[in-house]
Amino acid sequence: MAIKFERVSFQYKGIDNKGYLALSDVNLQIDKEGEFITLIGETGSGKSTLAQHMNALIQPTEGRISLFGLKIDSTTKKKKKIKLNPIRKKVGLVFQFPEYQLFEETVEKDIMFGPKNFGMSTEDAKRKAEEMIEVVGLHKDYLSRSPFNLSGGEKKRVSIAGILAMEPDILILDEPTSGLDPLGRNALLEVFHRIHTTLNKTVIIITHDMNTVYQYAKRVLVMREGVLVYDGDPLKLFSRGNIDKWNLDVPDILSLTRDLETSFNITLSPPPRTRQDLFKALEEALS
Amino acid sequence: MQPMISLEGVSFKYNQSTEALKDVNLTIKKGEWVSILGHNGSGKSTLSKLLVGLLKASEGTIKVDGIVLNEDTVYDIRKKIGIVFQNPDNQFVGVTVRDDIAFGLENLQIERQDMIKRIDTYVKKVDMFDFINKEPSQLSGGQKQRVAIAGILAMETDVIIFDEATSMLDPKGRRMILSYMRELNKEGVTIITITHDMKETIESDRIVILKNGSVLKHGPSNDILNDKETLEKSNLELLLPLELMHHLEQHNIQNERLKKHLWQLSLNG
Amino acid sequence: MKNVVIGRYIPGHSFLYHLDPRTKIMALLILMAAAFVVDDIMHLLIGLALVIGVLLIGKISIKRVYLGLRPLMFLLIFTFVFQVLFNRQGPVLYEETLYYSPITIGLVVLTVVFWGFTKKFIRFRLLYFLLMLFTILAILSLIQEPLTFRTGAFVVHEDGLRLAFFIMVRLIIIVTLSTILTITTKPTDLNLGLEQILKPLKLVRINAEEVAMIISISLRYIPTLLDEANKIMLAQASRGVDFEEGKLKEKVVQIVSLLVPMFIISFKRSDELANAMEARSFVPGQPRTRLHVLKWKLNDSIIIVFSLTILITTIMARVLI
Repeated sequence: MAIKFERVSFQYKGIDNKGYLALSDVNLQIDKEGEFITLIGETGSGKSTLAQHMNALIQPTEGRISLFGLKIDSTTKKKKKIKLNPIRKKVGLVFQFPEYQLFEETVEKDIMFGPKNFGMSTEDAKRKAEEMIEVVGLHKDYLSRSPFNLSGGEKKRVSIAGILAMEPDILILDEPTSGLDPLGRNALLEVFHRIHTTLNKTVIIITHDMNTVYQYAKRVLVMREGVLVYDGDPLKLFSRGNIDKWNLDVPDILSLTRDLETSFNITLSPPPRTRQDLFKALEEALS
Repeated sequence: MQPMISLEGVSFKYNQSTEALKDVNLTIKKGEWVSILGHNGSGKSTLSKLLVGLLKASEGTIKVDGIVLNEDTVYDIRKKIGIVFQNPDNQFVGVTVRDDIAFGLENLQIERQDMIKRIDTYVKKVDMFDFINKEPSQLSGGQKQRVAIAGILAMETDVIIFDEATSMLDPKGRRMILSYMRELNKEGVTIITITHDMKETIESDRIVILKNGSVLKHGPSNDILNDKETLEKSNLELLLPLELMHHLEQHNIQNERLKKHLWQLSLNG
Repeated sequence: MKNVVIGRYIPGHSFLYHLDPRTKIMALLILMAAAFVVDDIMHLLIGLALVIGVLLIGKISIKRVYLGLRPLMFLLIFTFVFQVLFNRQGPVLYEETLYYSPITIGLVVLTVVFWGFTKKFIRFRLLYFLLMLFTILAILSLIQEPLTFRTGAFVVHEDGLRLAFFIMVRLIIIVTLSTILTITTKPTDLNLGLEQILKPLKLVRINAEEVAMIISISLRYIPTLLDEANKIMLAQASRGVDFEEGKLKEKVVQIVSLLVPMFIISFKRSDELANAMEARSFVPGQPRTRLHVLKWKLNDSIIIVFSLTILITTIMARVLI
């Protein structure tokens, strides 16, 4: 297991020492390759805190985490010997706002920043930048542009390329598609899907969009008030009981499927996860 | 009846070369709910800034409630149009919820007694009464947007523009803001939603589609929602039931009952 | 950062909390002036006693105020030591010969190094610092041996001691008074009070309302900016920036990687905020009504009269005696 959480809790220190429990008793295991996970939950449910634990940006106040064999607990910070940087290379975390990380004069330099920090030579980092800008679906011409004169979607792609260039085994994306129009969102989701399938990396996406969850994820994690309440298959997640219990939005495809099945007394199988699947299944059911 | 808002030949240039809006003509009636749809960079937000006089049109005339927007009238026009912006954090001016709602009222020089009454009324209307003394750092994005709405409601404007106001919120926050739009529209407030989320447009009376700064098409929502060609041209997606309907048509699958059902579904969101 | 008490409001319920912020600001200024006018140590001590009295009546814990004073301890001690060592006026109170030799100087260096290493583990650092000073003095005055190449004298003059004590008490009074103000007044009220007091500055073309608006928005956005800075730091750390290590050149890059996003985000934020404010009919310099109004009560008048009485008395005392 690449990532293993054992009874992990995390308490933020608040003003006047009233702590705020952002994670509570989380147990979790994530593989190094082949997983496509979505992490969902309301604002403030602990999603981002959980993600930040996965690359040792913050350490648990209780419990233990093992990241690629490195044990991390509440005492880790004090021990100077333990180097957390190698973990951050293995688990790449893309923050929600690309503005948090872009700072160099050119896109190329910004993509090279991460890899060089982890000891990659300038030439190799350059090569990586050229490779990754295309992986995220931008033309090489972008490399010489300033990251600050790009559109929101382009900035996002550049920030993702900057993390991919570090060659992480696991890629975590915090709300990567928020604010993008449908075309931009779908294009970016395809990029993640491609990274997952062709590079065989584990991809974890934090999102509010249930359609993303339903269409792409093999596994869903649901956070609620700091507790990991669900860890499993997206199909089962959207069972009627869970939807009521956690006040979830139902994915468009699923709600339509269910509606058609009851209204027309047909069965669509296997349960369609994409628009194309739905069309095909319906055609078959009707003929 | 004179229109609430009318634009005639409105263009806007950020600099010499790039034209953000080109020759936009549009009228919005009192009490109407109009969605302005468009891809990222289509000029939607430029349009909303022009309406409240934050930007000045390079060409054309904008009229609000019969008043031509210019340097002298802009302050009067802002009393008629309120706007909820995208980022909840960048429009929360006050140190507390109460102070933030008061901000606009203080600017309008409302008497203190009246101010207190209005704050009380509108903070309750957006269900934020229990949070009235809270600071913004103690609120979620959705709660901050509700405060922003209360702040504008308190100014008792005729029009409220929601400029991608839900795009940074979680589903719960989004649902809540949508329900306020619905309620306000019923009470007679003219609503303009600027969005690229099709679901937010279903209940509106009309949809205007912007593409690269021009109006690509506008018309009753039912027509536009079903206009596959136009939507796809502007980087947008058909609502799922409607896309399915088109798919069935394309494949010559005739099933009137199914078609009717899908159409009903899409209208119910 | 968390232990800085200066400028931090602590909720409470004594009469100090119910005073008009204008009163508290003006009283602070008047009493500070009085503390500077006083030139007699006895009078100053009476002043200190009065201040402590206010703390007790106002139910402000002395520990809080001490925490507020702590960042200034170094300054206090430095002034004290400086005055004692270098003020050569007035009768001699105490004299000691100091012997400088390689051995004594070596011991002094050792003591300082030892202190430097161990101070982390000591709870009462201030006392420990004083202890170190005494040890050095003892080493230099007590160890006499043949290698001594120079002798010097440690002389304490009366004026030096007196002045050192005087300055210290004055500083304590001033800091305590300011701490009382900030502990008992919400930043927003403080701002409102300042705005009212600064209104007459309109004559010299300073618009107090605009200044107050700027302060108020700063107060509103400080937590947001700190939060943002923290997130940017995490974002860069996840790209391999190790903020705890690095040579000078790397440090520069680290700081740039923080400051550039910070600057760009703040710029965008202020732009959007300005739009939001303008759209809500804010026009700089235009009159506004206010939700928060200050109410001057009897207590406020009493405090101001009381403070003025103290100032006048001190002036009289100085002029007449």
